[in-house]
Amino acid sequence: MQTEATLAQSDVSELDLVKRCQDGDTEAFDELVTRCRTRVFGMIYNMVHSEQDAWDLAQESFLKAWKSIGRFRGQSSFYTWIYRIVMNVTIDWLRKKKIKGGDAEFDDAIQLREIDPASKTVPKTEALPHQAMEREEIRARIEKAIGQLSPEHRAVILMKEIDDMQYHEIAEALGCSIGTVMSRLFYARKKLQSLLRDVYENV
Amino acid sequence: MKTFEQKWTAWLDDELSGPELSEFEASLPNKAAAQAEKAEAKKLGQLLKRELSAHRLKNEEFFSHQLREKIVHESGEQHHERPRRSPTSHWWTIPRLLWAGTASLAVFLICTVLVMHQERPAEESQYLTQILNARVDPVVSPNGTVSIFEVKQDRVTVLWTEGLQSLPADYAAK
Repeated sequence: MQTEATLAQSDVSELDLVKRCQDGDTEAFDELVTRCRTRVFGMIYNMVHSEQDAWDLAQESFLKAWKSIGRFRGQSSFYTWIYRIVMNVTIDWLRKKKIKGGDAEFDDAIQLREIDPASKTVPKTEALPHQAMEREEIRARIEKAIGQLSPEHRAVILMKEIDDMQYHEIAEALGCSIGTVMSRLFYARKKLQSLLRDVYENV
Repeated sequence: MKTFEQKWTAWLDDELSGPELSEFEASLPNKAAAQAEKAEAKKLGQLLKRELSAHRLKNEEFFSHQLREKIVHESGEQHHERPRRSPTSHWWTIPRLLWAGTASLAVFLICTVLVMHQERPAEESQYLTQILNARVDPVVSPNGTVSIFEVKQDRVTVLWTEGLQSLPADYAAK
């Protein structure tokens, strides 16, 4: 799995930053956040399909990571470790939302119109170019199909296909066995293939 | 022991090799259909990667700024909470209760020992002493004393005299 840490080519190793964080160095934590915030946000966004919710869940995940950084023993990469927090936070949120009767599908399209542009937690959104409409439709189809998967199935397919994570890394992030990851991947792929066949065959 | 689903997934991801791969492929009833499905799964993966990887975090610096503010706020709350909570919630902690209990027990035992010591009846003297000064003539023997020690158990009586010039005639043993 390629992380932003490797992309950044920073001289300071991830483990050094973690050790400094454990001593209470907020600047070191800021550096770790900078290295993986985009990937974390992207993963959460693909799970919940709402920029505002993804923003807030990413903030909550990083805050929890800061509070529990003392328990990080360095047995896995920081990225895998924080993914476990991210997945716990996001899957819990999705379950609660389902219980309350809400549905994450297409929330973003609605919320973009409802959100106050001056709100602190809302990232600036740009108007969609007309020539990108077709691609947006495809994307909406994909998001709708992913929205029909259970949170656990969403997590495995996104971590495998988008982040190129290995089975054992996914298992660690989700706190389950490698066999469970493989089984979930099987059913998630079958479901998405049935829902998106016309899309990937024609694109 | 892998299930069929697990083997299928590993096969799609090209994670099977050697005898495991040949064994699995030999078990497929229709290898051509399986290969076609594998190709479909690859297309699905490519589609997901192409369409979903594009979503990036906007306002990255503001994201970090907001997170820093939350961390500072959380840290500040913890610092303020600690001294406020310590005199009340930490007073009757288990160690303090243990110390208080032990101290109370020690005081109780000391008091009990003292009280029992004071109340213990004094041992009755082995002797009964009678001063017989009244029978001593103060003119003849001004400093004379006569004492009788009697041991009840052994029925022994000791007559102890001091300062007498002579025994009074009327004190002769009768």
